[in-house]
Amino acid sequence: MSRGAWGLLAFVAGALLFASALSLVSAQHRARSLFVDLERAQAEARNRDVEWNRLRIELARAAQPAYVEQAARQLGLRPVDTARTVPAVLPAPELAAPAAAGGAQ
Amino acid sequence: MKRSAPARSAPRAGHGRPERMAFNASPLLAVKLPAWRSRLLLFALFCGFIALLGRALYLQGGVNTEFLQRQGEARYARTLDIPATRGRVTDRNGVVLASSVPAKAVWAIPEDVEITPEQTRELARLLDLPAPELKRRLTAEDKSFVYLRRQVDAEVADKIAAMKLPGVHDSREFKRHYPEGPTSAHVIGFTNVEDRGQEGIELAHERELAGRAGSRRVIKDRLGRVVDDAWLREPLDGRDLSLSIDSRVQHIAYSALRAAVEKHSAKAGAAVVVDVRTGEILALANWPTYDPNQRARFAPELTRNRVLTDTFEPGSTLKPFAVAASLDAGRIRPDTRIQTAPGRMTIGDRTIGDAHPHGILSVAEVVAKSSNVGTAKIALDLPAQTLWDAYTQVGFGQAPQLGFPGAVAGRLRPARTWRPIEQATISYGHGISVSLIQLARAYTVFARDGDMVPLSLVKSHEPALGVQVLKPETARAMRKMLEMATSPEGTAPQARVPGYRVAGKTGTALKLRNGHYVKEYIASFVGFAPVSDPRVVVAVMIDEPRAGGYYGGVVAAPVFGQVVAGTMRTLQIDPDAPLAPVKGPPLIAMGSAR
Repeated sequence: MSRGAWGLLAFVAGALLFASALSLVSAQHRARSLFVDLERAQAEARNRDVEWNRLRIELARAAQPAYVEQAARQLGLRPVDTARTVPAVLPAPELAAPAAAGGAQ
Repeated sequence: MKRSAPARSAPRAGHGRPERMAFNASPLLAVKLPAWRSRLLLFALFCGFIALLGRALYLQGGVNTEFLQRQGEARYARTLDIPATRGRVTDRNGVVLASSVPAKAVWAIPEDVEITPEQTRELARLLDLPAPELKRRLTAEDKSFVYLRRQVDAEVADKIAAMKLPGVHDSREFKRHYPEGPTSAHVIGFTNVEDRGQEGIELAHERELAGRAGSRRVIKDRLGRVVDDAWLREPLDGRDLSLSIDSRVQHIAYSALRAAVEKHSAKAGAAVVVDVRTGEILALANWPTYDPNQRARFAPELTRNRVLTDTFEPGSTLKPFAVAASLDAGRIRPDTRIQTAPGRMTIGDRTIGDAHPHGILSVAEVVAKSSNVGTAKIALDLPAQTLWDAYTQVGFGQAPQLGFPGAVAGRLRPARTWRPIEQATISYGHGISVSLIQLARAYTVFARDGDMVPLSLVKSHEPALGVQVLKPETARAMRKMLEMATSPEGTAPQARVPGYRVAGKTGTALKLRNGHYVKEYIASFVGFAPVSDPRVVVAVMIDEPRAGGYYGGVVAAPVFGQVVAGTMRTLQIDPDAPLAPVKGPPLIAMGSAR
């Protein structure tokens, strides 16, 4: 090969090297900004999880039997007791179907 | 090239500007410098570049990279702790009983603190501390670190952080919440400020619940954002734990117990509900109790789980076991007649007696009417070892395998040390001590067909395997006798529940204090329902009732009745007895669903 061809090859290779170096920098930058986004999303997920946990506690507290009973008594309700319970006996076929379904659960 | 430059610049200089000599026309420039000087300079520059290149190569791949690597990391890499969340405790239906949420510990370095009086007041309000106390802590000279308050809710801590007070800092921790509060406090127990279990389930299952904190090595950028992971050790969150407790049944037991203790001005009370089929504990209630959310008010008197850690002489609730042992050995039958007149019996130098003399009773009536003399006669007819075996097989004298801290074994002395009088008194529940949970478990032998299953506080997913202790027909006969005890002629008609057949046994025992019986009582009732197909065993104990009677049939049996009624309704168990007619809207049909 002539000297001119060598020079051209060196120039092209140099340009490729430069382009590759630039793309490496930009890829690294993109990787890092994506990682920052991922971190942010994960932090968000953690916060949501904490929030969900807090809400479950709130729910349990609001629905605790003692609280419900107190609220019901303020409304003038009374606890069910067997003395005031009326069992309704269904005709046999109708009874059989739900009983079977219930048993399968 | 140099030569042509002055020629080009000369005409330009002529355009209206004063004539000036071009700088490169200096005569000095015309002096010919020796060629070696520029060579020398070139060589010096070349050497400089070589040195730089050498240095660069040396830093990149030479010997001393480790030090530089460390220096770089010290500037950009950080190790972060990833705390593990403590597992939740839920009841059998997934209702949260204990759960941790992140909180903050607010602390200060007193010598760095700069705070105005208004800010002190504001901080005191946010921290829920008296202002003078806060001021005292902030000005403590001898301390370089002081906690202002731990377990501060995250929102409050954010408000404090927003005040930007110099010298006031916070750090991350967890706060445990117990939504059901005092109702199931004794089962769940509590954790300390470090979120470590101290009592109850929290302590017993510490290892599973706690989890393991992780950590990660990260690269942070100039803005403090995490841009890369170097390595990561995953945190292991604590496992959630499903208890066998049903919070609805727990509430029923708790409120019935509380009402009874208050009604009878008793010192304490305890109740336990056991699922007969699986051995799971559905409810375990204690009174007095405490609120696990209010850590400041814990007293041992309140936090003690009496169901598991207190033993007492059970009295008559123990009678059925001697009778069952005798039935099982074929010594008696339910209709065997036993002379209990004149209501007292002398063994050695001691005399035992019945509360009311009865005359000739069948074995079934001995149980139903709770005759001490009758039971003692049945027990004395058996070898002591047989009786001891019967008690041991149903779990007396051994700590229950619950994995619960502080569960006690009670006291059952070896049979060879029994004197006849002791054999007699043990048969009706004196000279032996048991815990309420042991009593409840022992009664499952009657509620099941003579086999026993281990009890569990954790929800079980597979059917329990029983160990046969009594013959099934013995268990069936005992069920019939115990049902008679709740009949109007028995000792505990108040245990009855409309719509369900119930069976059980009362106990009224004197308390032992320093080796002597004193006139203080423990009223108890242990029973099960429905008799046709037992589903739950309920045991109730009321300690030192002082008002409205002290007999088990009066004090403890009504609690049993209320708990059974509520439990049957909650678990939707079919009635097995006809209901009394109800006045009210016209009925479509009446009677049992079975």
